[in-house]
Amino acid sequence: MDSSPESVVSFHSVSKVYGHGGGAVRALDEVTVVVPRGGFTAVMGPSGSGKSTFMNVAAGLDDITAGEVYVAGQPLHQLDDRARTVLRRSHVGFVFQSFNLVPTLDVRENVLLPFELAGRRLSAEQQAWVEHLLAVLGLADRVTHRPGELSGGQQQRVAIARALAPRPSVVLADEPTGNLDTRSSREVLGLLRTAAREYGQTIVMVSHDPVAASYADRVLVLADGRLVGDHGAMSPQQIAELLIGFEVGVA
Amino acid sequence: MKGPRSDLVLGSRREVRTVGLVAGISGCYASVLMSAADLVSVDARSAGSHNAMGVVLSVVATVFIAVAVYVAAVVIANGVDTVVAGRLRQIAVLRLLGADARSLRTAVVRGATTVALTGAVTGVLLGALVGDVVRSVLVARGSLHHGDYAWLPPLSVLAAVVITLAAAVAAWVGSRIVLRATPAQALLGAAVPPPDTRRLGRARRLATFGLIGFGGLVLVLAAALGEGGGGAGFLLAAFGAMVSGTGILIGARLVVPALVALASRLLGSDPPSVVAARNAVREPGRTTRSTMGLVIGVTLVTTFAAGFDALRTAAHSWDLTPHQQVQTDQMLHYTSVIMTCVVAVSSAIAAVGFVSTMSLSVIQRTREIGLLRALGFTARQVRVMITKESVALSATAVGFGMALGLVYGALGAQSLVGFETDGFVWGVPGVVLAGIAVAGVLLVLAASWVPSSRAVAIAPVEALRDAG
Repeated sequence: MDSSPESVVSFHSVSKVYGHGGGAVRALDEVTVVVPRGGFTAVMGPSGSGKSTFMNVAAGLDDITAGEVYVAGQPLHQLDDRARTVLRRSHVGFVFQSFNLVPTLDVRENVLLPFELAGRRLSAEQQAWVEHLLAVLGLADRVTHRPGELSGGQQQRVAIARALAPRPSVVLADEPTGNLDTRSSREVLGLLRTAAREYGQTIVMVSHDPVAASYADRVLVLADGRLVGDHGAMSPQQIAELLIGFEVGVA
Repeated sequence: MKGPRSDLVLGSRREVRTVGLVAGISGCYASVLMSAADLVSVDARSAGSHNAMGVVLSVVATVFIAVAVYVAAVVIANGVDTVVAGRLRQIAVLRLLGADARSLRTAVVRGATTVALTGAVTGVLLGALVGDVVRSVLVARGSLHHGDYAWLPPLSVLAAVVITLAAAVAAWVGSRIVLRATPAQALLGAAVPPPDTRRLGRARRLATFGLIGFGGLVLVLAAALGEGGGGAGFLLAAFGAMVSGTGILIGARLVVPALVALASRLLGSDPPSVVAARNAVREPGRTTRSTMGLVIGVTLVTTFAAGFDALRTAAHSWDLTPHQQVQTDQMLHYTSVIMTCVVAVSSAIAAVGFVSTMSLSVIQRTREIGLLRALGFTARQVRVMITKESVALSATAVGFGMALGLVYGALGAQSLVGFETDGFVWGVPGVVLAGIAVAGVLLVLAASWVPSSRAVAIAPVEALRDAG
């Protein structure tokens, strides 16, 4: 099975089982989904629904038990650790709940870190892109600040700049607003949506917050490791009702 | 390909200053000993006599320097391991952002080696300077002959190279822990890395028992030969001590964590003691290295002191005139003091490493200590806990080292002068043993006072918030 050039992340009947025998847990159960280029996808679900596993598998951090996973056209399930590292380096960007900036590096150095780790030199075009990102994200006058001198919202913007800088095939965002206040959350979500709409950046965000998911133009819902919903853009109320429906259904 | 900056993995220079300090002390030590050897041999040559004494001194100095460099390497490996252990979370993030483990590890080695090189060169120059000043004064006073003394003995330069190479190897060993950070941990947000559960391999166990057994046999043989007289016994004893000592070092992981656990059980069973006991053996590899550095130092000092003490005791039973008796006693006493001081430097290097490992490991536990405080530990209990952990480690090291040293020292003396003495003579150098015990107590205080003060100075809420 091949993945079309337009699909950035594709799962084909992916299962992930932890443990075996009676204690086995099916964290992902025959999940099939294609994330095309461009667009902002939210992956939702209650705790234990398989969101984190979905993310780990898409990032090539976890082996799968069955099925096929393609990221940027490459078969992740067939690559070894080294090849996956290289794939992550060139095709995947990350935004975390806890920002994960390097405290000893200033803003610009943090943003340039992926290039440095890959041992790549910046082209003039990339240099201009980084400067553009820093300006758009409102960090232009803070490039020499350390993360400790920034607010949570500003730190997350640095993390977004770091994720977008190498123009990855996909940005994986793990609860990016989990540590932020309401105002900063809205700001960060708005920026992610802008990145998807204006730069055609593919973004996959895992969240359990209906408000966060309402910024996405596609909402996937996981429950007990299965993909149980694939919707277009929804309002926070609709998403909340959908989730409550599943929670009640499970109970 | 250009690798990542070493400070990303290793942190600031401040965190690895132990590496520089230890390399510096070793360099200074090597340089001073080499200057002394050069001084003796050139002075003898200028006086027109043989310089056999200089050659012997060079050989002895080389052995002592090798031991000091070995201890320094153990300390450096531990220092790197401790620093990196505190940064596993950040390393996991770097891995997720696309750094491969190998290049991160290389970056660690590169950073630590650079710091060690700087330290070693500084130490060597400082030591040579001290040697030059002392010699110039002695020459000016007429205590030494005029001669072409070396301002910077070539062997000192070689020592700097050896120290740097040893540091590189040690950093490679210590940076193994980098491999424990997996990219998936960055997404988990969990700060606790899985413990190192590697067991000693079969080959290592075999080597341990083989070397200790063989070395022990050689030592017994040497002691028996000592009854017959001749120099062979002593050389054999030195060889046996080296072989069995190597065996003990290789296999230390088999027993040291258990000994530390035993020592910490004697501290009490209240919550601070229990947590202290667990912390002391949380990382068996690190505990072992931290302890063994001290063990080597204490063993060396005790061996020399006990050996000379046994010689003096033996000398009392010899058939000598009162005048010869006094002369022999004085000669042995002075040689003993000088030798003990010379080997004590290795202990100092190990002590620096111990204090640094202890401080770093407490800093890394800021969050955990905040949690304990939030759960109801008083500031005093936290202090007690950290001090007890330090006591468990250093008491084990001091006890183990003293026991080894007494055995080695007595066997050494027996192999040297057994034929002139009735029975087997134990040397129990009371003053030196007391000195070691006092040094051990001071070490515990130095290693626990500063970090525990810092640990309790942070408000629990703040400590808990600090995600590292």
